[in-house]
Amino acid sequence: MRDKEELFQGLSDAIVAMDEDETVRLAEAVIDDKIDPYEAIEKGLSHGMERVGRLFEEEEYFVPEILICSDAMYAGLEVLKPHIKAVGTDRTHRVVIGVIEGDTHDIGKNLVKIMLEASRFEVFDLGRDVPPVRFLEKAKEVEADLIAISTLMTTTMEDMGRVIKLLQEDGVRGKFQVMVGGGPISKRFADRIGADGYAVNAGAAAKLAKGLLGGEA
Amino acid sequence: MSPRERLSAVLQHRVVDRPPVICPGGMMNAAVVEVMERTGCTLPAAHGSEELMAGLAIEVYERTGFENIGLPFCMTVEAEMLGSRIDMGSLSCEPKIEKEAYPSVDNVPVGDVQDLFASGRAAVVLGAIGRVSKMYPSVPVTGVVTGPLSLAASIVDPVTFFKELRKNREKAHQVMADVSDLISTFAKQMLKAGAGAITVADPSASGEILGPALFEEYAVKYLNEIVDATHAAHGHVIVHICGDLKSVRRHLGSIRADALSTDSVMSLSRIKEEFPLITTMGNVSTRLLSTGSAHRIGSTAEKLVRDGVDIIAPACGLDTHTPLKSIRALTDRVRACAP
Repeated sequence: MRDKEELFQGLSDAIVAMDEDETVRLAEAVIDDKIDPYEAIEKGLSHGMERVGRLFEEEEYFVPEILICSDAMYAGLEVLKPHIKAVGTDRTHRVVIGVIEGDTHDIGKNLVKIMLEASRFEVFDLGRDVPPVRFLEKAKEVEADLIAISTLMTTTMEDMGRVIKLLQEDGVRGKFQVMVGGGPISKRFADRIGADGYAVNAGAAAKLAKGLLGGEA
Repeated sequence: MSPRERLSAVLQHRVVDRPPVICPGGMMNAAVVEVMERTGCTLPAAHGSEELMAGLAIEVYERTGFENIGLPFCMTVEAEMLGSRIDMGSLSCEPKIEKEAYPSVDNVPVGDVQDLFASGRAAVVLGAIGRVSKMYPSVPVTGVVTGPLSLAASIVDPVTFFKELRKNREKAHQVMADVSDLISTFAKQMLKAGAGAITVADPSASGEILGPALFEEYAVKYLNEIVDATHAAHGHVIVHICGDLKSVRRHLGSIRADALSTDSVMSLSRIKEEFPLITTMGNVSTRLLSTGSAHRIGSTAEKLVRDGVDIIAPACGLDTHTPLKSIRALTDRVRACAP
């Protein structure tokens, strides 16, 4: 019987090392040894992705590295998830995410999605080039807790404010936290359009989301 | 000094009376809605017709005050040649990739690209360059080609492609070499058609996306292949890269372009300090152009001239709703700068 802390550390290290095969091997060991898969996700996979997020913020890792690490994380999740017993009261926080209409750059959005999923948020991805009203519709439909909007283009950033106006007009602004990000966006801009938060990159976005929703994801 | 002589002199490191003010075309074009509505020369129709493309390029030149004629008006021509599905956009929205041609670099066939230029939108662009350069011999026509990383990420699903830069190096290099060949050929044909300079716009070759190691391995290597091929055809070439370049700063001096254009987050005066041999182009914030006052736009332009920036230009793609008077505030101020 392997020491479970050792397994968790191994999972975390395998994610950081971009080693998908090793991640899967260790995830299978977790199942074989009847270790709590939920704990393995939290202390292994999520822990590894948190370190990846930090390496990204420190400019040790860049986009290709995050994408490869996340493949390892998703492969591990696929092994572990089916073994988690559903707990009735335990509802994960839901996020609706998308790139605002007019912009088809979605690398940044995809990174945020990865980091949110690594933090065990349930993410509904609207994709790129999304009209403002779609954010409102989807958030209501899935009873989201948080709306995350991104853009890389200065030409489309004003439409982020449109989303917030639509929420207000619909009388549901209070139901959702809204966070924004992307190349041309700043904290000041986020404040001006009335967003609840701004994150400078994907690692920071996951932390911000946890903060906005009161600690745990 | 004619605008064509001035731009050509700057790109050869020669002393000029004042910096030219240009807007290269491609994703950085000045075909704003106001110009199109006033003239009736409109996108998206002008993306697909030699006559309309030439007509719109001329109207943009005549009304904005930029000292070049830049075309085409998007960065999807090459991706379309290679099989990606394009959404041609609208009056105010640029064309974009709807679906990349291939899921992985492994699926990209190796093929001869020489005969792809005789038809389709490549022929439209070359024809339009031919027309305007004959009509305006003293104005530099700047032909814009899509940079190698941006093109590769427009024909292969970008999420897979960025991973394959690390995980499937051999094939990723093969695809990069092939697209660079195609881009070089396009650039040479633009020169032959009458273009006075080539701009390679490579927004995906950003340090923020790639980091220093992959930037050197892929961006610098293949941008230089295109630069060298253009030089061999006696053409001048400007390279535009987006985003914050601080992580790849040390590699900037290795790019052999005749001028380097960057995003407005970069200080061009500091790049000049660090690399005195680089000819700089840029970098008026497009947000300022779209929402700022004429006064602030003018003083920003003047500061760039004072800082010794060699070519004054918008830092990135213009908002299509940018007012014409804001563009004139930029071009008029630079043109009024005394030697």
